[in-house]
Amino acid sequence: MAATSAWDNTTLFVDDDPADRAFRAEVRDWIAANLPVELCNRSTRIDPPELKPWHRKLYERGWIAPHWPREHGGMGATLTQQIILFEEISRVGAPTPYPHGLNFIGPLIIDAGTGEQKARHLPPILTGEVTWCQGYSEAGAGSDLASLTTRAQLDGDHFVVNGHKMWTTNGHFADWMFALVRTDPKAQPRHAGISMLLIDLKSPGITVKPIQTIKGDAEFAEELLVDVRVPCENLLGGLNDGWKVANRLLGSERFTTGHPRNAAVLLNKARQVAELTGTLHDGGFRARLAALEIDLLAFSAYYRHAAALHGARRAPASMAPVIKIVGGELGQRASELLVEAAAGLGTLVGDTTFGNHVINPAAEMFEMRRVTVGSGAVEIQRNIIAKRVLGLPS
Amino acid sequence: MDLLLTEQQSLFAATAARLCADHGGPKRLRALRTADADIDREAWRAVREAEWLATVVPDDRGGQGLGAFDLALALEQAGRQLLMVPLKEAAAVASTLSRASDESRASRILDDVLDDAGLLVPATEAASWRPGSRAPGLCYDHKSGVLNGHIAFVAYGDAADAFLVAIESDPRPVLALVPRSDVAIATEQNVDGSASSRLTFANVHVMAENVIATGAEARRLAVGLQELLMLGAAVELVGLAAAAHDITLDYVKLRQQFGRPIGSFQVLQHRAVDGFIDIELNRSLSYRVLAAFDACEHHPAMVAAAKARASRTALAVTRAALQMHGAIGYTEEHDIGLYYKRAMVLAAQYGGELAHTGAFSHLTLEQAGAAP
Repeated sequence: MAATSAWDNTTLFVDDDPADRAFRAEVRDWIAANLPVELCNRSTRIDPPELKPWHRKLYERGWIAPHWPREHGGMGATLTQQIILFEEISRVGAPTPYPHGLNFIGPLIIDAGTGEQKARHLPPILTGEVTWCQGYSEAGAGSDLASLTTRAQLDGDHFVVNGHKMWTTNGHFADWMFALVRTDPKAQPRHAGISMLLIDLKSPGITVKPIQTIKGDAEFAEELLVDVRVPCENLLGGLNDGWKVANRLLGSERFTTGHPRNAAVLLNKARQVAELTGTLHDGGFRARLAALEIDLLAFSAYYRHAAALHGARRAPASMAPVIKIVGGELGQRASELLVEAAAGLGTLVGDTTFGNHVINPAAEMFEMRRVTVGSGAVEIQRNIIAKRVLGLPS
Repeated sequence: MDLLLTEQQSLFAATAARLCADHGGPKRLRALRTADADIDREAWRAVREAEWLATVVPDDRGGQGLGAFDLALALEQAGRQLLMVPLKEAAAVASTLSRASDESRASRILDDVLDDAGLLVPATEAASWRPGSRAPGLCYDHKSGVLNGHIAFVAYGDAADAFLVAIESDPRPVLALVPRSDVAIATEQNVDGSASSRLTFANVHVMAENVIATGAEARRLAVGLQELLMLGAAVELVGLAAAAHDITLDYVKLRQQFGRPIGSFQVLQHRAVDGFIDIELNRSLSYRVLAAFDACEHHPAMVAAAKARASRTALAVTRAALQMHGAIGYTEEHDIGLYYKRAMVLAAQYGGELAHTGAFSHLTLEQAGAAP
């Protein structure tokens, strides 16, 4: 979108050093020359198969895994460079690659995997040939993840897995699933009886069904697992160590999923739509917009501050949950303002053309409902801060 | 989150924390209120001896050449300990004088300020209005040098020996020093024991040697002065809110109801977490905008945002603190009410949440050319 404002909320507090600036310019030029235009500013979901060519291009340029160490095919980039890549990709409304392989299981395999697991799984994550999904949640285990009941029983050199996984993003497109399964039903506390298995979704006994979201697309799926045989070498980390393995993730991946850019883009859309619909002349709208921009400014300051501390290895335990809570809730409020801005056009099922942009305000708002629930609801994040940071009693 | 500080800054912050803890606190505030004092002379002497005003003055003007960011490390502690000293006011004056181009006049006054020859506090028209409006409260005759009118809500007006008066309404703004003896001062007490004064200027002859700047320079200096006051109040509010939050955490960990500490109830936990998050964001924001101020980047919208958010959050945190204390929080006896009252005063001082949200909206949308 053309900038209509001297107030640029997408670059707040960016403080690149000369090397960062050069890198940013290089990324920007390359994206302009290489990004398929049909992927930009889409109001509908882009499923993994359609994203593969773009993933491949980033891979060939060497930028697909900025946060992975060089020895495993990553860039070994600084956190600032990682953030720059994300910012420059999202700046033009282009999709960032799905995180399940690159940001979730990839780093876990690098961290806890055997040499064989690394050699087998890391290269196809980088190239994008293999799509991964995360098998954590179940019908009865959402926020209370440790109560999961999908069972894996050792039978010779295989685990036999029985259970039902749900809410797995891209489950119906994925080739592999990394799953938390119960390997010791008697263990106390319950999370001490959980292991992490890498499951080939082509294995016999797996039925995958897509689930339609309120947004209207099939983002996630459920998987029924009946006597699925998983070779022992697909255990990641030690037996009953799954909880520990999974929890090593939290941290720097929040810098992309929780980037203030998400809310900034929505607020800019809201402002531009409001200009066209006339909503911008309403005092109430202007007051709400200002309040949200002020919160975004504060969050941007926090975000850069957190990145600097993270770079200095001094980030506090509260950082990841704070970014998750504030980034998610701010994005939601911004998306609600976009629907307000669109007035009567905000409730239409289909896309609307505003100026030279196609926007679906309702879909944007539905999309943002996901972010305060997925990968640990904001209420759970608040519990984490209450107990681990503020020291409040149980 | 910790600020990323140099070793010198960490040392300074620790010293400031100690000094403020030694001289401040709720007990001290109560004593001052009983004595009807609107300034803590003893604490102020300690602050002067520690030379905190010099942080915002360049080396070549007799200061330490640090910046508003460094001063804020002390202001946050002053806010934390409810200190009743005109630190941000006197420092804003010192910083403004050091940036004046007419060195001969400003330097003389600045030297007096740094030598503790008297208390010089700012009296800015902007502070007594809603930002954005331009109702003139002062009238200055450039030919005769006669000043008429009034300025309201001047903090530490009763304790001041002189005022740095920023006349912004005039087509040719003026920044001038006016001695206390030329001003009629009416002072009223605020809820927290501090005071605010209404200054009346009746045919005051401003001496030529006391005119520090006129025209565009006066406006630039007055804007900087006002911004420092706003950012100073914002960071004081961060310290104050953090202190009230800590007291409340201690309370809910101890207070038992239904056979368990009330801090174990999720609804109170989440309320405490939201306060914590807001304080964290405001600390990052205030210091970030202060650093920009020191780098001479002019961001009036960001300054307005920092003050708006600090005001809102400090009020929300102290209100929640009162609520979580239950009935004891509503008593005069308990200290938590003092934090609420101080938050009220600092939130309103130099413009409250809604005034600055309006200013922010005006600045950001006006620039976009989208205003109706």
